[in-house]
Amino acid sequence: MDELKFDYKYKDPEHGTHRELFYSLDKDGNYEKNVRFHDDSDRIFIEQFWDVQKERIEAARQLVVSGKKSPIYYYMEKNLMDPMTLSSQVSISLWRVKRHFKPTVFKKLKEETLAKYAEAFKLKVDELKTII
Amino acid sequence: MIDFTHRQAGHCESGTTSNLFRYYGMDISEPMAFGIGNGLYFSYIPFLKVQYAPMISFRNIPNTIFRRAAKRLGADAVVIKKFKNPQESLDALNRNMEKGIPTGLQVGVFNLPFFPPEYRMHYNMHNLVIYGKEGDTFYVSDTVLELPQTISTADLQRVRWVKGAFAPHGKMYWINKVDKNVDIKKAVSEGIAKTVYELTGMPFPLIGTRGIRFMAKDLKKWPKKHGQEKASFYLGQVLRMSEEVGSGGAGFRFIYGAFLKEAGEKFNNQELLDAAEMMGNVAMKWREFSYIGARNCKSRSEPTEDYGMLGDMLIDISYKEEEVYKKLAKIKI
Repeated sequence: MDELKFDYKYKDPEHGTHRELFYSLDKDGNYEKNVRFHDDSDRIFIEQFWDVQKERIEAARQLVVSGKKSPIYYYMEKNLMDPMTLSSQVSISLWRVKRHFKPTVFKKLKEETLAKYAEAFKLKVDELKTII
Repeated sequence: MIDFTHRQAGHCESGTTSNLFRYYGMDISEPMAFGIGNGLYFSYIPFLKVQYAPMISFRNIPNTIFRRAAKRLGADAVVIKKFKNPQESLDALNRNMEKGIPTGLQVGVFNLPFFPPEYRMHYNMHNLVIYGKEGDTFYVSDTVLELPQTISTADLQRVRWVKGAFAPHGKMYWINKVDKNVDIKKAVSEGIAKTVYELTGMPFPLIGTRGIRFMAKDLKKWPKKHGQEKASFYLGQVLRMSEEVGSGGAGFRFIYGAFLKEAGEKFNNQELLDAAEMMGNVAMKWREFSYIGARNCKSRSEPTEDYGMLGDMLIDISYKEEEVYKKLAKIKI
């Protein structure tokens, strides 16, 4: 019901479906607790985050399709990681992770290294080799 | 299953702390736990990037609230910071469940199945309480959500052992015994003194009210330095950190105001009530800042508001906030 009031709707229907608790002041200056959905201004900057992520993912996809980057780069963006986060998740040093973004290096990677990436992205090793 | 009452809260850690205290028969409200445990903070670390934007935090480092609140309220509490391996952490949790102790955990939210999807980022400082086990399923009280949840062992192990910045390493904490005759007045006064120090007295320009001013000055330069798109994203980051999940609104300033108010009413202290009102005004200013700032996030390349004006607004807020802390420093409780 509350959903109808908003001018600004999330693009993803799953977003903004939880009510949260917020503190605020009422008209008389007393503190009150409200359980409510996000209001319009909150929606704008939360949506901005996902818009930027979508653009990053799409840009990464293009780079992989045109053969400039390896699929690891795409899946990193898809999982909202930066190279540093990915490096700590797979326990491989940052410069090696960055090197694995090169398609030529990626082709020569061992199965066990690929398995580490696959686990971090919750994929199978075969799925890691292509992007959809 | 333990007879544990789930109550939704504004912030995850003060919420879990308050719920744990309440389980042991000590009625510590969320704002009270937040204030006594020094939840309020501000830090701006431009050279550390989180999700491609500068790191901004309105809260203290994880586990501060629980540790300090437990210490000041004289509770016999245990914090296990780190486990050697996942199996050990699971065994410890199972032992607690057999003994019937509701246990707080630090987890990462990216793989948390029931978490609101718009918040699923690589954020590893979330807190929740496990209060029972049945076969392969754990009962979870997550204060972000209205209702209690369940989680499978595999999922729980994944979120407890997530790697990256502020990795939890299976951290868990619980209360053994509370002291119901503790002097709450002393706890509140210690909590306020420490918060005042952390927000005005730290000898480091990126923390506290000086940090807000430092960020305001940077904010004015963002469009020139990084271009409109990035400036808008950075501004969005400030707003996300202050208004988003687990802040209770206005970068925790509302929760803190509610704490001052509750303390003022409890101890019949007019000065605390005045401070609470001042904090409320500051919080309203933060709200206003995010309303106006949000317009610049709508269309990233065409700002509708001037960054200089937004920066000035923040500087104004920082001085207003400083006044509150100066007043608090003088109050004798």
